[in-house]
Amino acid sequence: MYDVVVIGSGASGGAVAYTLCKAGYKVVMLEKGRLVKRDEFSKDELAYCRRDLVTPNLFDEYHTIEEKVDGKWEITPTYESGWSFWNGNIVGGSSNLMSGMLHRLHPDDFRLKSKYGEIKGANVVDWPITYDDLEPYYDLTEELVGVSGHYEKHKYEPPRSRTNFTQPPTNENAVVKLIDKSCKALGITSLVTPRAVLSRDKGDRNACYYSNFCGSYGCSSGAKSSSREALIKPALATGNLTLLTNTHVKSLHTSQKDEVDYAVVVDTITGKERHIKAKLFVVAAQAHESARLLFNSANKYHPEGLANSSGELGKNLLFSGGGSGQGELHKESLKEIKFEDLMQTGLFINRSVLDWYFVDHWWDGTFKGGSVEFMFEHQNIISRARKDNYKNAKLVWGKDLGDRVVKRFTEQKSVRFEIFNDWLPNDNCFVALDKTYKDKYGMPVGKLRLEGHPQDIKVGKYIAKKCERILEEMGAKNIYSSVTSSASQNLVAGGCRFGNDPKTSVLNKYCQAHDVSNLFVADASFMPTGGSVAYTWTIYANAFRVADHIVSILSRG
Amino acid sequence: MCSLFSSVHLKYTKRDYDTINKILKGNMKMIKRRQFLIFGTLLGVSPYLKAKEFNVFEKAFQEVEATIAGVQEHLFPRASKLPSAKKMNSTQFVFETMTHKSFDKDIREFVLDGAKELISRENGHFVAMSSVDKEKALRAYEETNYGSSWLSRIMTLTMEGMFCDPIYGSNVKEAGWKALHSFGGQPRPDARYLDV
Repeated sequence: MYDVVVIGSGASGGAVAYTLCKAGYKVVMLEKGRLVKRDEFSKDELAYCRRDLVTPNLFDEYHTIEEKVDGKWEITPTYESGWSFWNGNIVGGSSNLMSGMLHRLHPDDFRLKSKYGEIKGANVVDWPITYDDLEPYYDLTEELVGVSGHYEKHKYEPPRSRTNFTQPPTNENAVVKLIDKSCKALGITSLVTPRAVLSRDKGDRNACYYSNFCGSYGCSSGAKSSSREALIKPALATGNLTLLTNTHVKSLHTSQKDEVDYAVVVDTITGKERHIKAKLFVVAAQAHESARLLFNSANKYHPEGLANSSGELGKNLLFSGGGSGQGELHKESLKEIKFEDLMQTGLFINRSVLDWYFVDHWWDGTFKGGSVEFMFEHQNIISRARKDNYKNAKLVWGKDLGDRVVKRFTEQKSVRFEIFNDWLPNDNCFVALDKTYKDKYGMPVGKLRLEGHPQDIKVGKYIAKKCERILEEMGAKNIYSSVTSSASQNLVAGGCRFGNDPKTSVLNKYCQAHDVSNLFVADASFMPTGGSVAYTWTIYANAFRVADHIVSILSRG
Repeated sequence: MCSLFSSVHLKYTKRDYDTINKILKGNMKMIKRRQFLIFGTLLGVSPYLKAKEFNVFEKAFQEVEATIAGVQEHLFPRASKLPSAKKMNSTQFVFETMTHKSFDKDIREFVLDGAKELISRENGHFVAMSSVDKEKALRAYEETNYGSSWLSRIMTLTMEGMFCDPIYGSNVKEAGWKALHSFGGQPRPDARYLDV
């Protein structure tokens, strides 16, 4: 029998498995997808970005999405809309495919309610832990998993125990000169973005080779700090990890009221079912799927779903508020830098702005804001060629199309910004089981009701305006931005809130189920509020913290 | 939320690249799906269509092949800064990519149906038309939402071939990449569709 079953191999599953295996415990990791090794990854745009070969076919496995249309809730299965909520079903999960622009949460993100008070229509609460509880694990992630960067003091940069990053930033495109200068002219501070990409070799992982195709692709040098490279490989090397791929968990079985005794799994190739036993179970399937698994594990002791005596399971699902914008730098009007330097491929922008993480302004008011990342438009060739080939609502084709597309690729380059602000938890954003639709294994699919809070839009627009000013100052043309309340399916958290009160939360402060003592949820599900940065660093850090607690439990016997 | 053939679905204007790629795939979201079997089958052994299914599709494709080729060659003619559809084996690419399991089955159907619709609108004359008449026929077809969406789909498919890795049989000698001075990243795939 194994000591621990870990369900999912993404950032959190990897951190838990690594810690437990290093401590000498026998772990089995169950991953629905297959293993794609470092040297099997390629930059095949057709395969990775257009045929979605690393996520399930939506006709086999899908979600249903409930959105308000003309005042009524309408349900659409994702096989019908094509709006996939799968983010990378291979060993290492979506951490293989991330762009890796990471930030820590700010200490005030742990006490949003005490700091900013209630917001009408939003279920804002303080966390049961503080930044200080998580800081050592942010630090561990930075060092062990690998985050490169350069620390500069800033009023909204969270405090850190290590003076600076152990790995310097990845190489940068000359456009950062233009960004920095433009920000400075506007009184804005541009900071170096911490990035989950190694700029120097580390063990058997090679430094970034600037392939020009990073986000949405697996890394072929091991530089990207995926769970697979940074954690699962060393965990396997201990001899304590059993990695079962193509293994989908249908449900968790509890024969006694407060203990899981086995996972019911299905081999995704043969369809054969079996049971996997362990002392302890860690769910790390990505927020919306973790909640679904617990719902699908309902039984007579847990009629409303496993660990759901509070009724909070699946509720307060979080995405990321904000949006994005873009502007074009044209050859003929480029300032400050040479066009050839701008067009040099592969180098990063690595710039973020935290100036509006909190807003306290005599005119604008006092509110929680968000963060901004700058980057080039994604380098994918098909998608860049295919975009915006309309003129007066007619498709451009023939010779005109050739002129237009070639010009786009050779005489300009687009710079983007992305805004991340809190997705306020609210009663109309949750995951439940769909009563009608089932996946190919016969299990009810997750139904996601999605609605953002109006405040999210307000904040996003506030920041977008400021970012557009930066692009203007840079001399960019055709600037636009889009701030929506549409859910960012690649940034998902919540659904199993942690808290001290079993009546209002699913997990305790160690992410252990209040109701089921040998059950933990280690992914981003625990977050009661999301903060205003991408979740990944916090997911890694918190999972290391949870793993330490599990080790302390197991060591007591 | 699934208006039939609106051009760009605002749902997908969020920040992440994957999503944006999906928008740019064209209008797949807008195609209303046919009734779907709730209990699907488990993965088969072959990632391509099964023999019988393949034969049916091949036959159906042959009926519209010349029309699809005619449209592609009109959208991507010779004497453009982009390589011509003819030189890029664009029609063969469309056929082959649609036979892979990863290809959306509703879009596969739509590609065939849209071509049949064009054939019938033009009473079977489209293929033999002069370039001027083809332009008129396609612009008229574009006036309909259905036709506009179909033409957009053909353009997407042609560009997918022209700008993806040459391993897929289009983008011959990297002519598509050379035209844009933009090249696929390293390492390049050594098999189609991640087949290990």
